[in-house]
Amino acid sequence: MSLRVRLTLILGAAFVVIWALAAAWMLRDLRHQMMFSLDQRLVASARMVAGLIDQMPQPLVARGEGAKLSADQLSVPDGMACQVSSLRGEIIARNHTKDHALDDDRSGFRDQTIDGARWRTFTYYRGDFRITTADRHQEREALNRSILLAASAPVLVALLGSLGLLWLGIGKGLAPLNRMRDALRRRSPDALEPLQVRGLPSELQPLQDTQNQLFQRIAQTIERERRLTDDAAHELRTPLTAIKTHLQVARMTEGAAREQALEHAEQGADRMHRTLEQLLLLARVEGSLSFEDGVQCSAEQVARQAIQDTGVGQRIDLQLAPGTAQVYLGMPAPLAVTALRNLLDNALRHTRGSEPVELAVRMDEGRVAFTVRDHGPGIAEQDLEHLTERFWRSGQSGSCGLGLAIVQAIVQRCAGSLRFDSRSDGLRVLLQVPLRTQSV
Amino acid sequence: MHVLLCEDDDLIASGIAAGLTAQGMTVDRVATAGAAQAMLQAATFDVMVLDLGLPDEDGLKLLQRLRQQGESLPVLVLTARDAVTDRVDGLQAGADDYLLKPFDLRELAARLHTLLRRAAGRAVNVIEHGPLSYDPSSRETCLGGVPVDLSRREQALLQALLHNRGRVLSSEQLKDSVYGFGDEVESNALNVHIHHLRRKLGNGIVETVRGLGYRLGPAQLPEVEQP
Repeated sequence: MSLRVRLTLILGAAFVVIWALAAAWMLRDLRHQMMFSLDQRLVASARMVAGLIDQMPQPLVARGEGAKLSADQLSVPDGMACQVSSLRGEIIARNHTKDHALDDDRSGFRDQTIDGARWRTFTYYRGDFRITTADRHQEREALNRSILLAASAPVLVALLGSLGLLWLGIGKGLAPLNRMRDALRRRSPDALEPLQVRGLPSELQPLQDTQNQLFQRIAQTIERERRLTDDAAHELRTPLTAIKTHLQVARMTEGAAREQALEHAEQGADRMHRTLEQLLLLARVEGSLSFEDGVQCSAEQVARQAIQDTGVGQRIDLQLAPGTAQVYLGMPAPLAVTALRNLLDNALRHTRGSEPVELAVRMDEGRVAFTVRDHGPGIAEQDLEHLTERFWRSGQSGSCGLGLAIVQAIVQRCAGSLRFDSRSDGLRVLLQVPLRTQSV
Repeated sequence: MHVLLCEDDDLIASGIAAGLTAQGMTVDRVATAGAAQAMLQAATFDVMVLDLGLPDEDGLKLLQRLRQQGESLPVLVLTARDAVTDRVDGLQAGADDYLLKPFDLRELAARLHTLLRRAAGRAVNVIEHGPLSYDPSSRETCLGGVPVDLSRREQALLQALLHNRGRVLSSEQLKDSVYGFGDEVESNALNVHIHHLRRKLGNGIVETVRGLGYRLGPAQLPEVEQP
């Protein structure tokens, strides 16, 4: 059921009930007032007849039984019966020819049935006379009905008019919602451009804004994922191309050329192997796999292991602060070694000639701080934020662009921190990792 | 066929160069967009193989600039990115063909031949010239239906002449077709190849235009040539 029908039904039902109650109340009061007025008319007519009789010559009674006064003489309104009788019950005058007398000997109002018709009578004693005025209930009801009809017709029209206006008004009020619905319906399911519905009320505007922000975020995420897959495809296809090309060359050639092609193919395979390993490592670090091997490593051991892993330990100048042989890192040793080794590899790659790379290990505010410093050209300010992006590499560094992304992932996993400080005399990388807590 | 290969990855570039050379092409290798542009100004090439991820400039930008400069050299773009938008961008930037890494060297060669053939306005691959027919992809030369054995340099020379039928080529242009940019060329090497070609395909096959260079002449049937 549409919101419009629903709202109209709920509000319309409430309208009808309230109007019906109000009308019933009003009509009941109206009927009461009218009956009271009609009674008052009987009273007034009786008094008036009494007044008339007072002015007439008194031996009215002596004229004999059945003497009649015309309705004109009694001057009571049409439709009202009037009867003047003596205290003994003789009818002196009446304005109707009914055989049955208005039979009443008590003063005041009474309801009685005469000839099958119900009458409302009023009896009034004045001197020797008894004056009774009466009108028919049937006439009273007819009058009542016509007044009810006259009063209820406008109520009914007003009610129907209100319902119509309600339908139109709700439709108008819900128009922005309908515009939004139509705009959403027109979109293709994978559309990501922002929703542009003009003139939205203040309740709906935040909805559209939030929706558009969501679209934007989704678009950014999709774009990032697409680029990442694209980059990964590029990184894997490039060495694969080298392998395939050189294998084909090997098939086409002979002798030394063939040997060289095979050697090149092997180099390509090595490169592909490295990239795959790095990608897998990154996936594992970012996933929830455990690296805990139960081996406790001190900061010094981690540093020495990382230096050994680079394979060119003689180019690295290790500076150990006192006490670093006794502190243990609050992270799996393999991850610490990998992170440090990647930083060292990076530094070695950007250091010209035989200049050393410096690795300093010290304690800093309850954490272990590893500082790796190279003597390369440093890196441009605007490139600093790209350093830890996957597959980002500066110029022709020859790396696969994943080393620092892995360090960043390790740091995030192990609550460490990674900072870069680039100066003209080289890049300094500060890696801080937490200590192992005493309870463990 | 003289190919300019613009690829920054040394391993891939050496493989492509070796593979295309083994298939009878003359390949010059550059690793940057700047070097490619310098090379295009220095020598004449038949076709260019362009990798998109160059270190100094995006390959597509280079291609766009070359096209704006009126360079009509057929260009085959190599890329490891397979998104449709990338391919569309490549073709819109002025690429004539598109090959996704990793590829087959024979396919690369076949596509380069097709590009050259289209550039020459021919619908079939085999070039016919009187009784002479030459298939650039299989590098088979036949004279009156009989296969003729040509060396790689001789094939390159014949191909250059066949692609420029009716036009006079300077000896510099011919050298560009036969030798790579870095090749050491003896001063009379070209004359030696022309001599061999005349011996195998008839004296008239290479006409000398005095002071200007050389032109393709009519091929003669072997019966006439070899008594």
